[in-house]
Amino acid sequence: MSDLSQLKTLSRGKKPKIALCWCSSCGGCEESVFDLAEELVDIMAVTDIVFWPAALDAKYQDVAALADGEITATLVNGAIRMEHQEEMARLLRRKSQWLIAHGACAHLGGVVGLANFHGSADLLNRAYQEIPTVHHPAGICPFGEAPDGAGQVGKRGFYETVLPLNRMVAVDFYIPGCPPPPELVKEGLMMVLEQRLPPAGTILGKRQALCQSCPRRGSLPETLRLKEFSRMHQVTWDAAACFLAQGIICLGPATRGGCQARCLQGNMPCRGCFGPLDLVRDQGAKSLSFLASLADSADPEDLQRFADSIPDPGGLFYQFSLAASLLKGKADDQKNNH
Amino acid sequence: MARIGIYICECGPHIKEAIDLGQLQNFGQGLAQVVFAKSIPVLCSPEGQEIIGKDIRQQRLSRVVVAACSPKEHEDTFRKIVRQAGLNPYFLQIANIREQCAWVTADKQAATDKAKALLAAAVKRVIQHEPLETQEIECQGDVLVVGAGVAGMSAALLLAQPQRRVYVVEKSPCIGGKAARHAHIFPHLECGSCVLAPLLDEFLHHEQIELLTLSEVQGVAGFYGNFTVRIKQQARFVNPAACVGCGLCLEACPVRVRNEFNEGLEERPGIFLPYTGVLPPVPVLDKKHCLHFRGQHCQACREACPFGAISLADQDRLQEINVGAIIIATGFDLFDLQKAPQYGYGRMENVYTSLELERLLDAAGPSGGQVLLRNGRMPERIALVHCVGSRTARFNDYCSGVCCQYALKFAHLLHQKIPGVSLIHFFTDLCLPGKEGQRFANRVLRLPGLELRRLPGPEALEITAAGGKIAITYQDGEGGGEGVEVDLVVLAPAMEGARNAGEIARIFDLPQGAGGFFTEESNRLAPVATARKGIMVAGCAQAPMDMASAIAQGQAAAGMIISDLTPGAKLALEPVTSEIDAHLCSGCKICLSLCSFQALSYDEVDGVAAINAVLCRGCGVCAAACPSGAIKAKHFSDRAITAEIGGLLSDDRF
Repeated sequence: MSDLSQLKTLSRGKKPKIALCWCSSCGGCEESVFDLAEELVDIMAVTDIVFWPAALDAKYQDVAALADGEITATLVNGAIRMEHQEEMARLLRRKSQWLIAHGACAHLGGVVGLANFHGSADLLNRAYQEIPTVHHPAGICPFGEAPDGAGQVGKRGFYETVLPLNRMVAVDFYIPGCPPPPELVKEGLMMVLEQRLPPAGTILGKRQALCQSCPRRGSLPETLRLKEFSRMHQVTWDAAACFLAQGIICLGPATRGGCQARCLQGNMPCRGCFGPLDLVRDQGAKSLSFLASLADSADPEDLQRFADSIPDPGGLFYQFSLAASLLKGKADDQKNNH
Repeated sequence: MARIGIYICECGPHIKEAIDLGQLQNFGQGLAQVVFAKSIPVLCSPEGQEIIGKDIRQQRLSRVVVAACSPKEHEDTFRKIVRQAGLNPYFLQIANIREQCAWVTADKQAATDKAKALLAAAVKRVIQHEPLETQEIECQGDVLVVGAGVAGMSAALLLAQPQRRVYVVEKSPCIGGKAARHAHIFPHLECGSCVLAPLLDEFLHHEQIELLTLSEVQGVAGFYGNFTVRIKQQARFVNPAACVGCGLCLEACPVRVRNEFNEGLEERPGIFLPYTGVLPPVPVLDKKHCLHFRGQHCQACREACPFGAISLADQDRLQEINVGAIIIATGFDLFDLQKAPQYGYGRMENVYTSLELERLLDAAGPSGGQVLLRNGRMPERIALVHCVGSRTARFNDYCSGVCCQYALKFAHLLHQKIPGVSLIHFFTDLCLPGKEGQRFANRVLRLPGLELRRLPGPEALEITAAGGKIAITYQDGEGGGEGVEVDLVVLAPAMEGARNAGEIARIFDLPQGAGGFFTEESNRLAPVATARKGIMVAGCAQAPMDMASAIAQGQAAAGMIISDLTPGAKLALEPVTSEIDAHLCSGCKICLSLCSFQALSYDEVDGVAAINAVLCRGCGVCAAACPSGAIKAKHFSDRAITAEIGGLLSDDRF
């Protein structure tokens, strides 16, 4: 903890109430809280955690019983796909002074937002019928036709598309990352506890792209032109040099810095989990745009080869931000969408 | 809140009859932040213009939308009116409802619906407009001429004036180009060097002309009125100020190589004068062949020079100059005969090109003006082959336009030099344009011993070795095969753009056409202008032509510059440029190499990119590529474009 004595001073007054909520996400963001380790104990000592399904037994009714604005801050991780997630988000918004989007899914829809490339019926069919490891002759789907002919259970509760948190409720600030570095989670909590809240809409991390703080920055070339991209297993790469300069796609130039270049330190190119910079509306489109500008030819065949060397462009460019992008997503039934 | 006035131009009947203007006006009136929408019969007329000015003042308008013709037509007109009424001229947006709506469909409702979409887009966009100011810089009056042949020299001489300096960049060590190596010029057969002497002399000694020999342009940034040119000058190793041209160094040099300035017809030392009578009359050291630079301890030339004019330590020099305009006069090269082995060139020693024969005919040339076979005998029978590599789909499909006349000139001169010689012209058509061509031909074609053999096409002939002689087999006019033996062959190869024209095109960003010649802006109305404003092209860099035409083009290019580019005049800079928010730049360098105008650079200290506002043309390429969104294209900000698209796609117009 940055300054424990200061925290103890705070705790002499009334302990601030904190809530943590898990919506549509993998749980990695919860881990980023546990990764605070001993510091988490310090935080728990000076706060009153009123709701945290991953760690404490508190129920919806416990939150509903609180007065509006009684919770000082709530960290919500995960995107919104289900009706109960929306309900929880709205409730916590009402009960909290500060609502913080915690991690890439709450911030941008995250990896779960990639579901927006498919319609909801396709998704459910895939999950409950088609997956090779599923053996399910009864064909019961929790959102489909009731097996005993009792009628349509319907898709109530399962939305057509995944949405980032701010499309449902107002968000005060964001802790980006998939998952966020524990340091940034701590920074977000400290901002709340020390009452130094950033301007509304602030995304923690840097205002500049990752390249600015990348340990491989020294090898950035002045002119970069590529015939095609390579994947890491196809080439022998220099572990100290800029990935793009070696023809390996890195989304660092289009991604907010502030992650301490964790992936780069681990010899992996940036995947874009911190999301776009302040003035960029669509991270995927921007990534496509800047990578396209590296093409070393105007010849249509060369360009085709260049484009073909990008595996799964949709999944690559929008890995964390599809749900927040300009693309609306594929929905089976637009009217049923929220 | 903006206060927007919408003006719909009826454009006489053009818009009024094609679009339901009542509907459009009502629709415009209903859009957010719009004060009024009115239809005016002819908005660009003085009456129409007056209404806009009056409304802006009286109704306190903050933005103006004009629904009329293409912005290419009247955007400047309306911006001027808006500015005169006290608003920033960029608080205007034009919806093109004539070319894009009225003129593209006969369906009135479809045209009206589209006009509504464009109007809504313009209204939403104009709200996002930010004021832009036009900056002025002083225009650069100096001029760069690339190439010191006849076209470049005549341009430079017209341009060089007390307030205007002319830089002439010449790749070779000497001036005068190919023309200076012609001993006789058709149709009057004057001595070439005598005709050119006054021009060369004035050029060489003009105070306002700075000649850079052995030089090439490496890069050009900027635009009309303000180009920055990077020039690399190779070391000559001889100081022109100290050299008196005594020639002792030439004699001292132990090296002998082919002299390319006499078409390889003789050998020269490693330090040499390109040809007799060359200007400037200063030797040049050929680093590629010099023993000193090949790692040996030779200093023979330096030791031989009584004037200390030779310095082997000279270095190549890089310099930058600023000029307002550029003339490209890089001339031509002959068609590469390696591509057409049927003419025997390079395989038979007595097959010459036209330029080689020019050198042989020169009394000061490598043979002292004698035309002899390689074995020293006088040729008795000479063939002159026209249209080599021209007028054929296989190589160049154009006619170089000068070869027939110089081939006839050769016939005349050979007839004079070699008594009783027999001459055969192999031609397809004779091209004899101009005031004198036909008259000159009539005179030559009467010569005794001259025969004409007309081929069905330029390639209907083959040249092979036949013992000590040269055999020419050809098709006659009826398509039958014929053969003839001669002692010597002179080929008239097509003229093509200079061998390095592709590189020049890349550096100056100029389009090239047939034969590698640079493409003029219009082959009728603007033959010396190019697509790039401020860059002219003159002489054989533009097309094959004779000396008089090349000089006329050089003078024309100079004239265009003189009438347009006044030294000291102000030049308005483009206000629609891109700008970088240095606080948001991560220094990823993606943008750096994308700029066509060299306006982007990298600040090593702060680790961010920077835009030179003087060089930026506002194309927006960097803004589109900037992965951080740190670069903004003014007037085309993401906000303005998104708002415009929003207006275009909004449903409220139906």
